[in-house]
Amino acid sequence: MSIMSYNGGAIVAMKGKNCVAIAADKRFGIQAQTLALDFQKIFEMGPHLFIGLPGLATDTQTVHQRLKFRLNLYELKENRHINPKTFAAMVSNLLYERRFGPYFIEPIIAGLDPKTFEPYVCNMDLIGCPNEPEDFVVGGTCTEQLYGMCETLWEPDLEPDDLFETISQALISAVDRDAISGWGAVVHIIEKDKITTKSLKTRMD
Amino acid sequence: MSLNGLADCRTYEGTKIPSFVPYADNGGSVIAIAGDDFALLASDTRLSSGFSIYTREQRKLFRLSDTTVLGCSGCWCDTLTLARILEARMQMYLHEHQKPMSTPAVAQMLSTMLYYKRFFPYYVSNVLAGLDEEGKGCVYCYDPVGHCQKVAFNAKGSAGALLQPLLDNQIGYENMDNVTSEPIHIEKAMALLKDAFISAAERDIYTGDSIFINIITKDGIQEEKFTLRRD
Amino acid sequence: MACMSKGDWYSPVQFWRSGPSPGSLYSFPGVLTAENTRFSQRSQAPITTGTSVLGIAFDGGVAIAADVLCSYGSLARFRDCPRVMHVNDNIILGAGGDYADYQYLKDVIEQKILEEECLNDGFSLKPKALHCWLTRVMYNRRSKLDPFWNSFIVGGLQDNEPFLGTVDKLGTAYVDHHIATGYGAYMALPLMREAVEKNPNMTQKEAQKLLIKCLQVLYYRDARSYPKFQIATLTKEGVTVEGPLTLDQNWEVAHMVRDGV
Repeated sequence: MSIMSYNGGAIVAMKGKNCVAIAADKRFGIQAQTLALDFQKIFEMGPHLFIGLPGLATDTQTVHQRLKFRLNLYELKENRHINPKTFAAMVSNLLYERRFGPYFIEPIIAGLDPKTFEPYVCNMDLIGCPNEPEDFVVGGTCTEQLYGMCETLWEPDLEPDDLFETISQALISAVDRDAISGWGAVVHIIEKDKITTKSLKTRMD
Repeated sequence: MSLNGLADCRTYEGTKIPSFVPYADNGGSVIAIAGDDFALLASDTRLSSGFSIYTREQRKLFRLSDTTVLGCSGCWCDTLTLARILEARMQMYLHEHQKPMSTPAVAQMLSTMLYYKRFFPYYVSNVLAGLDEEGKGCVYCYDPVGHCQKVAFNAKGSAGALLQPLLDNQIGYENMDNVTSEPIHIEKAMALLKDAFISAAERDIYTGDSIFINIITKDGIQEEKFTLRRD
Repeated sequence: MACMSKGDWYSPVQFWRSGPSPGSLYSFPGVLTAENTRFSQRSQAPITTGTSVLGIAFDGGVAIAADVLCSYGSLARFRDCPRVMHVNDNIILGAGGDYADYQYLKDVIEQKILEEECLNDGFSLKPKALHCWLTRVMYNRRSKLDPFWNSFIVGGLQDNEPFLGTVDKLGTAYVDHHIATGYGAYMALPLMREAVEKNPNMTQKEAQKLLIKCLQVLYYRDARSYPKFQIATLTKEGVTVEGPLTLDQNWEVAHMVRDGV
């Protein structure tokens, strides 16, 4: 079994009209055994910036802490909030430092530009190769299911409410077809002057 | 000393050479949807292996009777053989019983035939769609060794994982509040089928070129072709 | 034999590599033991091989082309091996892969044709029938894990319609208007697809020209190919197997090559 699917989990992020959404499941397990239903995989890294770290749970937490450290240094030095693109470069750099002994996570970044409030989504492989598409990014153990859902449900310029509905349906339907993802979900909708965080009820089997 | 053909073969120096592998993954996706008085079965027409496309127009649906169609994906040489034997068994049944085999009977027979090769399986994902004795639409899906399940809709093959959650969502209305589940209309099913394949062709390199849709009703089987992206 | 890098009381270290170890029986080199008699009677790899075969269906017939080289690994061993076969006036066949397996199957097919002609009933084998039969033969051998290591292209006229089909060592069979096996699937097939897309109703001349162009491209890039080739053409007028012909070559860009071949 691959180390990437040791703990399970799924994360998806989508662009909307002047907003972005990022959503993840809440399961923490070891292979087929579920251990917790409140595991955090998405972390707030700034006023309009979130990062999701699907993959090996221990690396999820380590990478989050190391990133938080580097981000704090950046903000102290620059005295401003980081641009999502810059943050993506920071993540990429951190991962590539471990090119030959990588952290087993495939990060997903979602945010708004601090100045222009331009939506931004990005994902990476475990050694930091970034991908910045115009629509959506997916990661975790049910990427195939998520791709299938997002590819059909997503459309350009979704309003925040519609974006929430789309990302929720995509995530829930996808994790229901994956044995090691699910057990609750959380969605963050990032807008210019508000961040909405909602918990989703899902089937618990 | 037993030499399993699947095991590695050693030469005199003890170096290993890769042995013959009797299977290939030729890709392809199949979707089946059962309605109240119809059944739909669709598959793409791309036959491929690795990074090369063998042909862009390979039908993967097999008409077994006027009310039953089989859709296959996986190892194409096994598909050919399985379909051929099935067609022969259909003929034998027809001559013995003076009537074509019903869809549930074909479903059971297919399961038995697959399990008969349990330890050297046909590497094929099958979906069987048709009308039962009462004229209701039914879909049966299988694993390669004969597990059989009657379902309302199913997606199999290389893009099965992409398509199945979409069907759960759009036909099964899973995780939706304030929606009453109603039997699916043929028009909606057709539209969904095409949308699903268009999406699958975006992300799955083994699905594309075009799809054939078989519409099974009491009036017979209609066929429709629909083109997808060819890259 | 157990790994002897670390000695312990029940498996002591060998005196030298592959040599005797104290307290155990010494098996002299060259003597057959259970360990080195694992010979296989099944074909696990092709030996003497032919490379790509190309086939195309045109307006009123089909053409199949292949070069005449049989390689022994990387050695260009036999330089006059015909790989296209005139089966009967309705069928032509091209073969790639293991040449011995092809020769065996060729004998079987020739015997089939002979027996059929002896009946003298006015019927003769049709391309679809041979394609179907070959598929079964190939699949049966793969199911015994003892495959015929070939890929075939069968061409002919079935009820006055051009037919072109292929089978590989697994029994994977399909029908198309243009088929290429081996490296041809990567290099010639895209050229053929493009040409057919531009000109769906190709004439015999155009089809033959296309095949020769494809063989030329393959000759430049496939190290197991050869400039001498055969081309079989089947129309309702009958079968012609031309060749061995020689490919035109241009080595002007390759400054280290003097005079071609």
